[in-house]
Order: sequence, then C-alpha cells, then structure tokens
Amino acid sequence: MKKWGELALGVVTSIGGFLEVGSIATSAQGGAEFGYQLAWVLLLGTLSLAILMEMTGRLAAVSKRTYADLLRERFGYRFFVLPLVAVFVVSLLVLTSEVGGVSIALQMATGVDFRWWAIPTVLVGWFLLWRGNFSVVEQGTAMLGLVAISFAVGALVLHPTWPTLGRALLPSLPAHDRARYWYLAISMLGASISPYLYLFYSAGAIEDDWTIEHLGVNRITAGLGNVFGGGLAIAALVTAALVLAPRGIKVDRYEQIALVLATPLGRAGFVLFIMTLFITCFGSTLEIVLAIAYLLAQGFGWSWSENLKPGKDARFSTSYTVLILLAALPIVAGMDPLSLTNISMVVTAASLPVTVIPLFVLMNDGDILNTHVNGWASNLALVVIALFSLALLVAALPLQLLGGG
Amino acid sequence: MGALQLVHDVIDSQLVDRHQEKIGRVDELLLELEAGKPPRVATIVIGGGARARRVGRWMHACHRAVHALFGQRVEHESRVPFDAVRCIADTIELDVEGDALDSMHVEHWLATHVIGRIPGASGERK
Repeated sequence: MKKWGELALGVVTSIGGFLEVGSIATSAQGGAEFGYQLAWVLLLGTLSLAILMEMTGRLAAVSKRTYADLLRERFGYRFFVLPLVAVFVVSLLVLTSEVGGVSIALQMATGVDFRWWAIPTVLVGWFLLWRGNFSVVEQGTAMLGLVAISFAVGALVLHPTWPTLGRALLPSLPAHDRARYWYLAISMLGASISPYLYLFYSAGAIEDDWTIEHLGVNRITAGLGNVFGGGLAIAALVTAALVLAPRGIKVDRYEQIALVLATPLGRAGFVLFIMTLFITCFGSTLEIVLAIAYLLAQGFGWSWSENLKPGKDARFSTSYTVLILLAALPIVAGMDPLSLTNISMVVTAASLPVTVIPLFVLMNDGDILNTHVNGWASNLALVVIALFSLALLVAALPLQLLGGG
Repeated sequence: MGALQLVHDVIDSQLVDRHQEKIGRVDELLLELEAGKPPRVATIVIGGGARARRVGRWMHACHRAVHALFGQRVEHESRVPFDAVRCIADTIELDVEGDALDSMHVEHWLATHVIGRIPGASGERK
C-alpha cells in the first residue's frame, strides 16, 4: 500500500516538475510560429528525459550513490571538473530564468514591476529550503504544480485537429524560416531535458532511501510521469498553435502567452495561467537550487541532505543560500526574463553531452549495477540520445546567431 | 586477501569519520619512500589544493588566487595516515574525529559564523 502511495506521488512529482518556465515559453513560441509542426521535438525530449531519469534513478537505487557521486568516483576529479562547471553555469542561468518567471507572474497578478518581485521570491524560496525537508520541497511543488493541467483543459476546449497533431509527432522539415525552426527545436529540447532534472532525481532517490525494491517504482515514475509532463508541454504548444498562430502573434513577452489560456477559458484562464507560471517556476526554483547544491556537496564529499538541519551540513546550506540570492540579481537589474529563458534553454541543450555520455559508461559497469546494467535496447536509446546531444552542442551557437530573437 | 585497486576503489571515494559523518573525498594518495624499505601507501590527503593540483597547474594557480582573495595564508588540508582506514566499501571509513580535521575548517567556520547565526540552524533532523 505504501508503495502505491509512493508511486502515485512519484508520478505526480514528475508531472508537476516537468512544466516550467522554459517549457511554457519555448512551447508557446514553437506553436505560435510553426503551429503543431514542432510537436515531435517535445515527444523526443520527453522520451529522452524519461530514459535518462530511469537510468539515473536505477543507478542511485542499486549503488546507493547519486549520479554526481559516481561522476566523481569513476571518472576522477580531473574529468569531473567539466560536468561540474558546465552544469553549474547552465543551471544557474535556468535558475535565474525561473526566478524571472515567478516575478513576471507576480507582475501580471499585481501590476507591480517584475524587478521588485525577485528578492521577495528568493527570500520565500530560501525560507522553505531552510525550514522544509525534502518531502516538503518535492511533494509541495508537485501537488500545487498540478494546476498546469489547465493547459490540457485549454487545449481540449480549443478542439485540436487530432490527425494533424498526430502527424506532427513525426519530424518534418519547415516550409519557411529554417534557422528559426531549428533554433526553436533546440530551445524546446533544452527545456525538456535539463541536467538539473536527473541530478535532482538521483539525489532524491538517496534522500528517499531507495533500494533495489524501488526499481519498479522508478521505472513507472520516470515513464508515466514524463508521459503526462510531456503531454502538458504538447498541450501548451497546441494552445499556442490555435490561439497565437492565427492572430499572427509571435511571443516576445510572457504576457502574450497568457492569451493561450485566456482565449479558451476566459478570465479563469488568465488567472490559471498566472497560477501555473507562478507555481511551476517557483517549484523549479527550489529544485534547481537544490540540484546545484547537491552537485557541489556530492562532488566534494561534503555532508548533505535536505532532511538535516542546516547546521549539520553548513557548506551545503551555505551553497543554496548564496545561489538563490545570486539568481535574483539579474532580474533585479532588469534583464528581460523571456530573453534570459531563451538563452538558458539553448545553453542547456549544448551542455547535454558532458552529462549524457558518461552515463553510458556507468550504466554498463557491472561493479556498480551488478545484474541491473543496461540491456541492448537501453544502450541503443542512450547512444541515440548521446549522438543528438552532440549535434545540439555543435548546432547551438550557429543557430543562436541565425535563429535567436 | 582481496586486491585493492587504488585508482578504482580509493581515489575520489567518499570518506566518512568514525561517526559515519561525511568528511570529504580522497583527493590525493601519497606513497612513503624510505631508503632500504619498499614504498607503501601511507597518506590520504583531503583538501582543495591537492584536488586543484590534479587538474593542472593553472587550476592550482586559480586555487591559490582565490585563497589569497579571501586573505587565507594557510592551506587547510588534512593528511590522514592510511592506517586509519577501517573499512573500504561504498564509502571509506576512517578512524578519525571529523571535527578535528583541518580540512573541515570551512565547514566549521560557516557553521559557527554564518549558518549558526540564522535561527533554526541547530538540531539533528528537520
């Protein structure tokens, strides 16, 4: 019975954790400019993330060590510096974007300029990290994050043409603006597959004391949770395709995205959009800041746990305290949250190889996983993900220059 | 007698003290060379300087620059004799008191001067 509870919770967590500022913004841009056509990117991103989460979760449940632990232990400090720096920088950028998303939501709700909201946002976030334990952060944001289902409701109310949507789940080439198309594809992939997601997930498996008995829970959580989460991202794309595209609106401000729910659902839709933006971005803020602190603590061997009082892991709690405050500064300085989000998503996509390729080595190490090493199908999937992550790395900069903005 | 692979099983492993508290990782291993005796694994080094040296000279230079920036002249590094090793498994247990290690300087400093001053920091579990 307890296990089913955990399962339900896990699934809810991944739904609530999936949609955040990056997915909302890039899916809306994709839908507004190319209709349903980019839906395949979300399918690809969702499948990839599900596979990566299942693997890092399995790694943690079997070895009792997190992915970051094993990156340092098996590859040595010299190599570890590379994923450490890459994930640190990328996640800090995404973190700032999330704080921006929360601030914009509060600006839309109150009319007070978003810059004023960054500091209160991070202070409240910090307080929750300081006082709350891991379950509070994980389950709290997950439960509230279910408000994101309003995107699915919005999409259904708009009556999408299913056969067209179905066909868009297979890749196709754009008829116009090729550079912009691929730029948005990369941004959407970066928004779906963020390293912080699987680093947080594997640390969470340790926080929740997972063992080999949780492998089933892990598989279903990673699979089902991402199916729902990815479904919501596709719903966001569909609403944008049906609301923004016909009106010729290209998204260059967050306020425009509110139309995708306000049009089908009226005033309630506007309120739901603000709530979704606020809650999902706030939840992601907490998860990302923890993910970075986990990475540092695990990489350097410090004491760490969100379930310990801060005095018991001073370096860990100092890390999240400093990081969350740092993330507010660019927003206070008035950086445009949407541009910041777009840049963060592309940089995220470019950073994927350094965390995806080492995973292949670890998932085939019998010393770590015994009989739970990857089978041929998992290996094939991981090779495919690794190859396209390399393509993202190569293509990111040229496409940012050609198709960004 | 099982064989121990120093690079695979020891370097970079998580270290815990006798109370199972995490106290850093094996940043460097030193061999002891004495005239007339065979070399033996003698010392586990825990510390940022040792870590930085492994990456390269430029990293070590950066490390020293950061230290200088914070006005720290001494390198807070622990050298624990290999004899203190009690158990090598997922983690390596050392028969030492974590609180007494010099490499825990930053942890202690933050615990007393920063984190400890904020209400709600003390206690065991949340």
